[in-house]
Amino acid sequence: MYQSIAWYATLFFVFLIALAFSFVYGESRKLREYGPIQEKGYKIRKFYFLGLVAIMGFASAISLSKLPYHNQHALAKEDGKIVDVTGMQFSWQLSDENFVAGEPIKFRVTSKDVTHGFGLYDTHMQLIAQTQAMPDYTNMVTITFDKPGTYKILCLEYCSTGHHLMIKDIVVKPKGGK
Amino acid sequence: MDSKARNSIKKGVALSLVVTSVVLVLMMIFGVIMLLSQGNVVKISSQLFYKVMTIHGTGMIGIAALGGSAIMWYYLSKYIHLNPKVFFTNLILTLIGVLMILTAIFGFNFSDGWTFLYPLPSFSAKMYGTTGALLFLFGLLLLGVGYLIMYFYLAARLIKEYGGLGKSLGWDYIFRGKKGYGPPPAVVATTMVIIANSTGILSGATALVESIINIINPNFSFDPMVAKHLTYAFGHIFANCTIYMAVIAVYEVLSGYTGRPWKSNKAFLIPWNFSTLFTLMIYTHHLLMDFAVPRWMLIVGQIFSYANGLPVMVVTAYGALMIVFRSAVKWDFASSMMFLAMFGWVAGAVPAIIDATIVVNHVMHNTKWVPGHFHTYMGMGVVAMIFGFMYYFNKTEGTQKQSGLDNVAIFTYFVFFAGLTGSFLYAGKISTPRRWAEHLPEWTGSDQVGALCGIFIIVAALIFTTRFIIGLRNVGKKPTSEELKSVS
Repeated sequence: MYQSIAWYATLFFVFLIALAFSFVYGESRKLREYGPIQEKGYKIRKFYFLGLVAIMGFASAISLSKLPYHNQHALAKEDGKIVDVTGMQFSWQLSDENFVAGEPIKFRVTSKDVTHGFGLYDTHMQLIAQTQAMPDYTNMVTITFDKPGTYKILCLEYCSTGHHLMIKDIVVKPKGGK
Repeated sequence: MDSKARNSIKKGVALSLVVTSVVLVLMMIFGVIMLLSQGNVVKISSQLFYKVMTIHGTGMIGIAALGGSAIMWYYLSKYIHLNPKVFFTNLILTLIGVLMILTAIFGFNFSDGWTFLYPLPSFSAKMYGTTGALLFLFGLLLLGVGYLIMYFYLAARLIKEYGGLGKSLGWDYIFRGKKGYGPPPAVVATTMVIIANSTGILSGATALVESIINIINPNFSFDPMVAKHLTYAFGHIFANCTIYMAVIAVYEVLSGYTGRPWKSNKAFLIPWNFSTLFTLMIYTHHLLMDFAVPRWMLIVGQIFSYANGLPVMVVTAYGALMIVFRSAVKWDFASSMMFLAMFGWVAGAVPAIIDATIVVNHVMHNTKWVPGHFHTYMGMGVVAMIFGFMYYFNKTEGTQKQSGLDNVAIFTYFVFFAGLTGSFLYAGKISTPRRWAEHLPEWTGSDQVGALCGIFIIVAALIFTTRFIIGLRNVGKKPTSEELKSVS
């Protein structure tokens, strides 16, 4: 969902910027005194500035209430399943590989050697969650696999020449199924 | 300034621009090779891919800094006396550093990327030997030393000329109610870069030394999280400062072409002061997926990354639009590139700001969305400013005239660069990871589009570079006035 929002928001705002630049380019061959242009420009800029601040404030208010860190904290209170994940050049090791759809999972992610990126991909190869896998640190990320199927863990932090080989399948079984 | 020193600086600027443009084309070729390989068009081994990736990143950021420095020196030397020896010292140290880095990569298989994370070089040293890793780390360190020497010298000159870096950032006008206009934009921008980039380089140097010590004696180890902070403080600030150096050309060229002075009033000085502060603060948006980092620091990373977009959107880009609006500006290569570069910078800021949103970053960090946004503001912003300045330099210092071929090249460059960055951003949307030598079949389409666009970009860059180098023959044949401009 966020990928699509990011994509369409970028297209929309870049289109608006392109429109502004095109308009100014179109008007650039005319010649008028700069004083009145500045005066009017500064007035418009006040609204432009306030508009941008409003958009950024709105985006902050909405997005900061849904932090993945919050989610992690909330689920830690429930008895979600805990799975320890260790990244190493160039594979993933999981303490438990039995997953059932609908069950909240708390991944405790670390690394044996260098920094890796723990990226969880859904059955359509969309990235659904991630955290860094670092030596000496444990990062926790929670996820509930909604549907059964084969999910994947991909390394998302460059970790040397076998980086792209760090793919691990996670098979999520249907609830109540075998 | 005596004309001998100014002429030496001009020679240094010309030499830096030649190195910048030639290396740039080479790095673009490396970029296309990576895309062709990811897109399964031409296969190279994964080890070679990561070596090419390392030189592409290091080389691109290096030439952006070198080109930006050339612009900064060219304009700053119009306002204050500068010693050309310092410029050449940095250039020579840069070239030695680059040679060491090239040897490390192609002679000793170093392939950890330009923003490697500690302790990766130690592990690579175990796999491929310590020589390559140490050559690369010392090469980068030497580059940093060159820039530090340059920044400390410029700081000393500005302090002597203005009475302090606060004054060259316009604090007299902001806080003490001094009337009139502050120092020229070139001076304000240079001050900002000195403060931010010296901090960034010192952070990077600390991380480099940590890695060097750890390789030489593994008994000495360091906190990888602290090293990560230092690495991204360096990488983020250094990359951003290439823009802040190059943008001086936008101020100078557009104001010169329109005959409308770009004065540093309060509305100009205050945002530049905020930019200085924000650039130092917001590197934490590179650590949003490090859940062990204190939460307040990550929230600061998001909020101030948003805020950092305001100075460029509301002041610099808006100022460029205002100065051009109904100005009867003469559109030529230089003015067109500066105008389009402002578009590139602002357009690149949009996906950058969106990615700094924590919930978005959670599903887009380290996907190709990231190179998508930085290729937009580096390729269509900084590099476009450098190309525009190259033409301006030959025109001002020589007898360069615009040709129809230049217009075609500008059009080709921007249209296909939009295609390239669009292909990267789309790849990010479909969750393609960045820095992967091998791509799954569903990811290769965007790689192929990117590679095709990249080929056209190389053609345009070759035209720019060839025209610039040929045009240099006439530099110095036009009499110029060497009077220093007013410093405030």
